[in-house]
Amino acid sequence: MNYLFYSLPMIASLIGAFLCFVKREKFEEMISIIFAAFSLISAILILFLSDVSNSFFFIDGISKIMLIIISMIYTLTVIFSTTFLKYIEEPLFQKRFYYLLLNLFAFSMFFSVSVNNFGLIWVGIEATTVTSALLIAVENDESSIEATWRYIIIVSSGLVISFIANILIYAATGTLDISTLLSTNPTSEKLLVFGSMMAIVGYGTKAGIFPMHTWLPDVHGKAPAPVSAIFSGVLLPVALYAIIRVIQFSPISSVKTFALVLGFLTVIIASSLMAIQIHYKRLFAYSTMENMGMALIGISLGGYALLGVMILIISHAFAKSSTFFLSGNLFSRYKTTKIDEIKGVSKRMPSTAYALLFSAMAITGMPPFGTFFGEIMIILVLLATMPTGYTILLLSFLALAFISLNFKVGKMIFSNSEGENMERKRVGTIVPIIDTVLSLLIVFFIPWIEKVIR
Amino acid sequence: MKELFMLIGFSEILLVLFMQWEVYVTKIVKTFSISSYLIAIFLFYLGFVQKSYLVLILAILAAVLRGFFIPNFILQRLARDPWREREAKSIMGTATSITVSLMIVIFTYVLYELTLYNFVKISFGALPISLIFQGAFLIISRRNTFIQLIGYMVMENAAFLLTGYLFPDLPFSVEAGSVLDLIGVVMISGIIMRMRENSVKKSDDFDELKG
Repeated sequence: MNYLFYSLPMIASLIGAFLCFVKREKFEEMISIIFAAFSLISAILILFLSDVSNSFFFIDGISKIMLIIISMIYTLTVIFSTTFLKYIEEPLFQKRFYYLLLNLFAFSMFFSVSVNNFGLIWVGIEATTVTSALLIAVENDESSIEATWRYIIIVSSGLVISFIANILIYAATGTLDISTLLSTNPTSEKLLVFGSMMAIVGYGTKAGIFPMHTWLPDVHGKAPAPVSAIFSGVLLPVALYAIIRVIQFSPISSVKTFALVLGFLTVIIASSLMAIQIHYKRLFAYSTMENMGMALIGISLGGYALLGVMILIISHAFAKSSTFFLSGNLFSRYKTTKIDEIKGVSKRMPSTAYALLFSAMAITGMPPFGTFFGEIMIILVLLATMPTGYTILLLSFLALAFISLNFKVGKMIFSNSEGENMERKRVGTIVPIIDTVLSLLIVFFIPWIEKVIR
Repeated sequence: MKELFMLIGFSEILLVLFMQWEVYVTKIVKTFSISSYLIAIFLFYLGFVQKSYLVLILAILAAVLRGFFIPNFILQRLARDPWREREAKSIMGTATSITVSLMIVIFTYVLYELTLYNFVKISFGALPISLIFQGAFLIISRRNTFIQLIGYMVMENAAFLLTGYLFPDLPFSVEAGSVLDLIGVVMISGIIMRMRENSVKKSDDFDELKG
């Protein structure tokens, strides 16, 4: 009976998806909100259940936290979508098809973080590509369709690499069950190293990790705001979840070093590119990449850094979804994604402006937001385990990212502009404000998060 | 078994080389279909030898889905727009494509012998690895979305061949799941390709898509 509880988030999103076939005015919106909220409640309930490891489920503290993040961002995205979709002039398909895909997308993510088989995690992550691809192209113009195609072909090719990685891991250990992998000694450690490195590159493709990251800014730049929010907030962490498992069952120094190097390169590339961005959505996309790079560094270091990773992932999910929701508000009013063409947001859209200011601070790791504490834990472990030069290098690029993003966001918000107030009311601004507040409140739950993942 | 794997593997390489320099999309799709049937034959044989009904099911899946359904789905899409039958302009010339393809085969063999062979000790394991690189090259070297999709499926087929030969006892759910995902990717790609050609709104902000 208990096992049924563990599958409730999946069941809820799946039922929500099927009910979207019913043709009734606004029925799909209502039903999606109800079942997303139900998945959130069931994810919270699962927190109080014991960890489980059987032939299908592998749910430990990390999975539980992932279930919570996915269900929260899923719920907020569905709510925000109800108000945002009306600004899309000629959508690709009917609203109910949008909600159908969104619910299936959430299902595939719930599935990926719940199963006790590394091969099935691959199936789940590949399914996220299938269910999410059309969501990117909702705005139905040439460039968004091009971005969708690049997403499909780059991410799918990357996932072929992780499929081969799975084969090699199976060859080295004789199993793909996560619970068994965690307690098995490989028959060939070299093969496991090879497979694990390929898995990091393959799943890293989906997580926006260098060098297979090129789809990420295109997709985040062209997808509608709620889709960018759920991609950045939870899809990328779901791919990182697979990498966390790889490092857990393959705690070999060469694998960790490989992940550390890729994490470093991702932060360096993303931070450097943030400095030259002229489109705000791409700027936020590179910020996501920078945060995922930090998370990968933390995963490779392990110990308290892993706690830092979980705090960073949770806080980043809230803050970044807020940022993308707010970028949707900006786009719906200013009709441009260029930073230079957006002026005087503080006067014309005050609620959006201040929510954006705080969420920008949150995603760049400013205290007292959760991202700050997550990053500081990772940096302290780095300082304790690696030569100081590495920390200085990392800090300098984090500073570059911080300055680039906050300067550009500040420019949009505080520049002078004449014009009437054009603030979006109610849901459009309330949802991102809730998100930003949550990214701050997460700080109070750090001891509890530590207890859950240990 | 080893001989059959070698035969199928080399045939696959030749078929992909043919795809590299072919400009008619229909022919490339049909070639892909043949290559999928060859993999299905190999799996059938493997299933009989090992008396594994799961491998036999995989063989049927490979034949029905990869050999028949997916190529037919693409051919039907192509039939709606005959002008897409021939790739107007590829990124690389035919001669360069041939040269690079052959170099990839040699490079992969050397790479395999120097690295992976030390761990797995399986002769001709370089064949599927080479196919994966060939698939990736097909994606990079062509502009036509159908050919890029075929490139991706060549990579998938190579992974399937690698699994079938080296690890036929890999959990069936994983193999079947990968097949189902492949169908999903192909269906979605089909929709995207159609939209790519018939997009409602033209866009002038392609500069934004710089990767």
